[in-house]
Amino acid sequence: MSMPNDTFECGHTIEELSLYLDTGEFPDPAHLESCPECRNGLDSLRRLAAAGGELFASDLAAAGSGNDDWMKDILANLALELRPGRSIPLRSDDPADTLSETEGSILALVRSVADSLPGAVAGKVRLDGDVTVPGSPVAVRLDLAVLFGHALMPSAASLRQDLAEALARHTELNIAAIDITITDVIEAPREEK
Amino acid sequence: MRDQLDVVPDAILAGRAADGDTAAFESLARRYGPHMRAAARRLTGSYADADDVVQEVLVQAWQQLDTLREPAAVKGWLLRLTGSRSIDLLRRRRNHASLAAADGDAPADTVSPEAGPEAAAVAGAGLESLKAALSALPEEQRRCWILKEINGQSYEEIARTLNISPASVRGRLARARTTLVREMEDWR
Repeated sequence: MSMPNDTFECGHTIEELSLYLDTGEFPDPAHLESCPECRNGLDSLRRLAAAGGELFASDLAAAGSGNDDWMKDILANLALELRPGRSIPLRSDDPADTLSETEGSILALVRSVADSLPGAVAGKVRLDGDVTVPGSPVAVRLDLAVLFGHALMPSAASLRQDLAEALARHTELNIAAIDITITDVIEAPREEK
Repeated sequence: MRDQLDVVPDAILAGRAADGDTAAFESLARRYGPHMRAAARRLTGSYADADDVVQEVLVQAWQQLDTLREPAAVKGWLLRLTGSRSIDLLRRRRNHASLAAADGDAPADTVSPEAGPEAAAVAGAGLESLKAALSALPEEQRRCWILKEINGQSYEEIARTLNISPASVRGRLARARTTLVREMEDWR
């Protein structure tokens, strides 16, 4: 039996070894090199950790893929509510009319313009400024992922141009700046880490 | 576009989803749903419960995504929510069961009478003996071990999920591991 109940003859405990495996912390690291009991205990715990990894891999495989019916059913039941964000006033010809558009619809517009650029995928979009007051300056800040093999700088420049045109056409915002941050360059199809 | 969403990093998806992009949120759900389902099933004992948990977590995640400070950490966050929801479900079920009948929790792998050491040795010995040993652990130790090894949670996160101290997590995890090692090595 390689695992005693609690404390080894050297005075160290399984709890200490267990913690050491998770955190690398141990009161007397040099001791682990020389103590056969502790080394056996660590070996056993490492084999258990490997078996735990196997169990996880097997459970993950058994759970199926995110494209399977169980996930489709879950997604179909979610009924995600919209996120309108702030209400952005629009000019109207008739003073009796109150017109507005939602911040959420403008974020969606920015995303769709960015996504339509080959190799680009929009991330977080922010409208910095008081969009609820007509004419106040607004800075658009956009995170962007670019697929590997697409030129970064021309992408950003032409995207800024496209965004300025789309925002001028679909909104009355006073766009003071469009800041694009390329947060990621995507190299290859990715899987769960 | 859907294909592109499936290859972008978590932070991009989480940022878009927080802005209200349902397609990005669904892509996140597809990406980490299997891990969430596997963890919830190992904790609750059935896929039916696991799917309920995953659905509850996704509803909560959609509502709270804009509070996530570090979008790149969305995976760990989803798994922590999954752990908490699974534990909630187990507690509800136990309260319910103690009212009705003393049924107890059903572990994911109960050992069938014929599946002794011999059967385990044939079919992936390590894995099968681990499953059997795990299902025989005291419930609180089993939960600690699964939250650590399957959900990948830290001691502090497990402590918050189970509403116990990090020192208790350390102790329970060590006792769980001691028992699991002993059971598995007896069967080798």
